[in-house]
Amino acid sequence: MEQPGILLTAVNTTTPGMIGEYPLVELRGISKAFGHVQALQRVDFCVFPGEVVGLVGDNGAGKSTLIKIISGAYQPDSGTILMDGKPVTFHSPRDAMMMGIATVYQNLALVDQRDVAANIFLGREPTKGIVIDRRRMVEESVQVLQQLRSDIPSVEVPVGLLSGGQRQAVAIARAVHQAAARLVIMDEPVAALGIEESRKVLRLIKQLKAQGRAVIVISHNLEHVFSVADRIVVLRRGRLAGVRRREETNAAEIVRLIVGAEHL
Amino acid sequence: MEQDLRQNSQPEAPGCGTNNVDAILDELESAGAPELLTRAGPRGLRGSLQALLRMREFSVLSATILLFIALSLATPLFPQLDNILLVARQISILAIIATGVTFLFISGEIDLSIGSIYGFLGIVLASLIAKFGFNPWLALLIVVIMGAAIGFVNGTVTTRFGIPSFIVTLGMLSILRGGALLASGGWPVMIKLARDDPFLNITSGHVSGLVPTQVFWMIGVMALGGFVLSKTRFGSHVYATGGNQEAAILAGINTKWIKTINFMITGALCGIAAALLLGQHRNAFPLTGTGYELDIIAAVVIGGTPLFGGAGSILGTFLGAAVLGMITNGLVLLGASAYFEPVAKGSIIVAAILVDTLIRKRRV
Repeated sequence: MEQPGILLTAVNTTTPGMIGEYPLVELRGISKAFGHVQALQRVDFCVFPGEVVGLVGDNGAGKSTLIKIISGAYQPDSGTILMDGKPVTFHSPRDAMMMGIATVYQNLALVDQRDVAANIFLGREPTKGIVIDRRRMVEESVQVLQQLRSDIPSVEVPVGLLSGGQRQAVAIARAVHQAAARLVIMDEPVAALGIEESRKVLRLIKQLKAQGRAVIVISHNLEHVFSVADRIVVLRRGRLAGVRRREETNAAEIVRLIVGAEHL
Repeated sequence: MEQDLRQNSQPEAPGCGTNNVDAILDELESAGAPELLTRAGPRGLRGSLQALLRMREFSVLSATILLFIALSLATPLFPQLDNILLVARQISILAIIATGVTFLFISGEIDLSIGSIYGFLGIVLASLIAKFGFNPWLALLIVVIMGAAIGFVNGTVTTRFGIPSFIVTLGMLSILRGGALLASGGWPVMIKLARDDPFLNITSGHVSGLVPTQVFWMIGVMALGGFVLSKTRFGSHVYATGGNQEAAILAGINTKWIKTINFMITGALCGIAAALLLGQHRNAFPLTGTGYELDIIAAVVIGGTPLFGGAGSILGTFLGAAVLGMITNGLVLLGASAYFEPVAKGSIIVAAILVDTLIRKRRV
């Protein structure tokens, strides 16, 4: 009944340089219900190293549930999660983080009064004896932000004084720095941003890809999705509505998949 | 794979790599990637001045200096060493409790029961020594532990049951005031220790006949508190807890426990404060500490720690306590009516916050 091979093969043959490699994360036949609301029904999904996947769908399509399963916040009712081809179980976001999966939350989860370095290391401050190793925090924060080509003026500025895009960069830097994240999940990273700021965040996503990390981006803005995603995964009412490579599709087709072809 | 990522994420020699990632990074670099500074603002004298202005403690520091100069000009008695040491002693007990309250405020909680804990523990301490014949040091240890236990109750009820600490500690304020009256029968409890008993000397004597030991207690407590707050992970988590609790929880910080510990620190410091006062008076009064919470909270707030948490410092609290101490002292020296003191204190509190708010608005 489950045919994980089809999706896998389809992707493998169309993703250059990935032939023969396992997906970084693969979901097979994932189902999840809340009460009698079936949020996800036998959904297959995969993301390869160095690949950007755009996850789209209408409100209530199951996007958030899907990424919360990948990030360990929810446990699926049935189905399998594989990392590097091996089955894994995440009991908490911490488990997923240990495996290199980092999530950038929509509200960014930053402490406005604290500076950039303190936010990047929030909850994981390095110490020398009992004293926080502030120098290391500053140096590594500068490093990770430089990798992201971020335009943050200083790592010693309180994040409350930064622009929306810069705050996003801090949140992404934290995600990247945590356990040298292999997969970064971003929930609506540009929803609250202006045009210029959005562009910077999209550039950050490309930067992550260039570093060999995988990225899953949830967005309602198809233009943004098309500008960064290698593959677009569409969910509708908890089911997989379609998977398309960016070059082989267009916005109209994705919209049809999102709302269901019968409605057009 | 993971090793590869680590190498990529920490290039030893940027620009020397031969793989794809480095090539792309180089390309972006040549496209004019912005330079990242490790420090905020310009360096040098101008930078230092800007850093000073940006300091949270700036307002209270200026207030302290201005007040000191004004009082020195108004009365020549004020700037004399004896008088300065007197002010230092007078603010010591307040500043010690205010250190704990600073921790609490930064983590986003409040404790209104501090005056009552302080008074209640004074009665308990005196009773243990006078009525039950305890060694004073053992009694002090017991009282500090009791203070921490009271703080544990405050913190647990607040964090586990989600009741605002304002309400929980308001209840504790009443309970412990009643407790102090019940335990003492409403009468002072006197301890009979020899004049040269080390307990009296260490809690309220003088070092080389000049500097009150209470001042050293204050410096010790505040230095330790300032160190923990600014240099340790715990301190960092206190700021995060009050700054954005949700973010702190997502980052794996146990915010309930952080807050509870802060209530415990505050309670334990009330125990130390009670011992310093008992050493000074050799009497414990059941009404000691009534209304004291307001003075302590005033010191913390004047010091630049906001009521809603996330920011603040022990240095600020010290300066806040110093401002309050100088006002009380100055009014006495100037021969003003004692009834005027609360008016002056209240005005200073509002003025301090006003100035701070105006400066902050212009800065952001």
